[in-house]
Amino acid sequence: MKRPTVPLLLVALVLLAGCGGKKRPPAVLTDPAHKPSYPAASPEPEQPVNTGPDIRSVGRDNPSGEDFSINDASGENGPLEDIHFEYDKDALSDEARAILEKHALWLQNHRQARVTVEGHCDERGTVDYNLALGDKRARATRDYLVSLGVAGDRMHTVSFGKERPLDPTATEQAFARNRRAHFVVSR
Amino acid sequence: MPDCIPRAGDEASREACRTITQVLRSDLKFEGLFQFVPENLFSALPTLNPDSPNFEDWRSVGTNILVVMRAQVTGGELAVEARVFSVDGRQVMLSKRYSGRADNPRSFAHQASDDIVALTQYKGVARTKIAFTSDRDATKERRAKELYIVDYDGFNPRRITVNNSLNILPAWSPDGRALAYVSYRQGGPAVFVAHIYEGRSESLTKQGEQAFAPSFSPDGKRIAYASNKTGNMEVWVANADGTGAHNVTSNPSTDTAPAWSPTGQEIAFTSDRAGTPQIYVMDSEGLNIRRLTTVGNWNDAPTWNPSKEYSEIAYTARLEAGGFDIAVIDLATRQIRQVTAGRGSCEYPSWAPNGRHLVFSCQRSRGGTWQITVADREGRTIDTLAAGSGNNVQPDWGP
Repeated sequence: MKRPTVPLLLVALVLLAGCGGKKRPPAVLTDPAHKPSYPAASPEPEQPVNTGPDIRSVGRDNPSGEDFSINDASGENGPLEDIHFEYDKDALSDEARAILEKHALWLQNHRQARVTVEGHCDERGTVDYNLALGDKRARATRDYLVSLGVAGDRMHTVSFGKERPLDPTATEQAFARNRRAHFVVSR
Repeated sequence: MPDCIPRAGDEASREACRTITQVLRSDLKFEGLFQFVPENLFSALPTLNPDSPNFEDWRSVGTNILVVMRAQVTGGELAVEARVFSVDGRQVMLSKRYSGRADNPRSFAHQASDDIVALTQYKGVARTKIAFTSDRDATKERRAKELYIVDYDGFNPRRITVNNSLNILPAWSPDGRALAYVSYRQGGPAVFVAHIYEGRSESLTKQGEQAFAPSFSPDGKRIAYASNKTGNMEVWVANADGTGAHNVTSNPSTDTAPAWSPTGQEIAFTSDRAGTPQIYVMDSEGLNIRRLTTVGNWNDAPTWNPSKEYSEIAYTARLEAGGFDIAVIDLATRQIRQVTAGRGSCEYPSWAPNGRHLVFSCQRSRGGTWQITVADREGRTIDTLAAGSGNNVQPDWGP
């Protein structure tokens, strides 16, 4: 075998043994010099490679392209205006209660109307926590309407957490607008 | 790892080899188990005899392991050979031949990477996938959020849900064949299970209750989630087909975000029973509840390291005023390790199946877009994943 006249510069993988924390054992490759248990040099049979599993879309249950029934937070309000909440709170302010008293009157005058009470949050805070907070805001709102004499079975609640803000900008004014209960009226 | 050697001189074979070289190096570097000799040393190499490397010469430059790849495209079929040599042992450690369609040579490199990593005590992640939520296909009229899947390196994006509604919080089944998620397609939030190789989706919870945050048990037989069905937000557990649903917490506070332990015997979750959201642990039937986090006034989204090697839980933590960071708490010592810092706001961590990396979502400046972000478990290397346009959030790292 012909030997090169300069030292060979060879490139390969070298184990980065023992990097990191004290508790973590280093990556260990069994040393074949001591444990010659690897398969012989003859290659294994060909192994088929899955070059792209056939993942398929789901949920094409809306073929008409009709939007789903939720009001799309376009800013258009139905007959019942939004109420607003303090940051990270689900308590009803005096102002919110006054608005809900008007809503209760309206609902007593429109006995066919059914209402979806949506609870929304601003973008600050974590996903899961805001979904729960939106639920609490929607239920606090519904419960107050019930206490004012609106039948509970005319209302249902939906939490949107921070998933569908009215105003997606990151300003204090937008945050305040987004912390709300929104009312979608159907008949 | 020298460049992949084409077995034929045609352009298709050479192109496949270029991709395999690039992707395999990237995969092996990502694992963080190997150190590469700098590539500029390659230029001085004499032609490698791929069947019989000169071990003495390799050893003289301190090489332990040599990876030799060869590839050939024939009539739309790609055939790849991977040989891994122990330089010290002067023998073949691994010899594999792969064949398949030639249209995605990346998957050959991923397969080879996982086979090479399997020589260590770890399981590689090169063939794993990440599911997440994005608004990339939203329009002004329809502000939809849909679920997407990418390879762990951000390639091969595929859209899973197509209903113009809100589809959020994906969670892989342990076998990688299904995603549990929350959809508003029928009005209110309900847990669905998408069978992604069959193209069908079925609901686990009914309209009328608000159900969020699904999580498969490690054996795939149960799903934990949060629901307000009792009139208050509690952690629930149901069989994977939706039967046997029952609440496992019962407390006037908000209990949410359940995450299974690797054994399936315990569940971590978020509760504000002490006044602020904190991480708690209980057994999977709701007994023996104890508080885990005590630092900070907002901790949420726990996720248990699936590896038995690391007994720890990653979560979203507000450690400083303003933004959130990813933190990890050691279950034995209760010591907290901060994974992200100074990266804007980061939330919603998920572990790689081998527990050696984390994926989460970060918004680097207020008002900017949310991006899928990957870090090793120590937070030494953190990179944004090029997972496509839009706000990309709520990642879940699957098998």
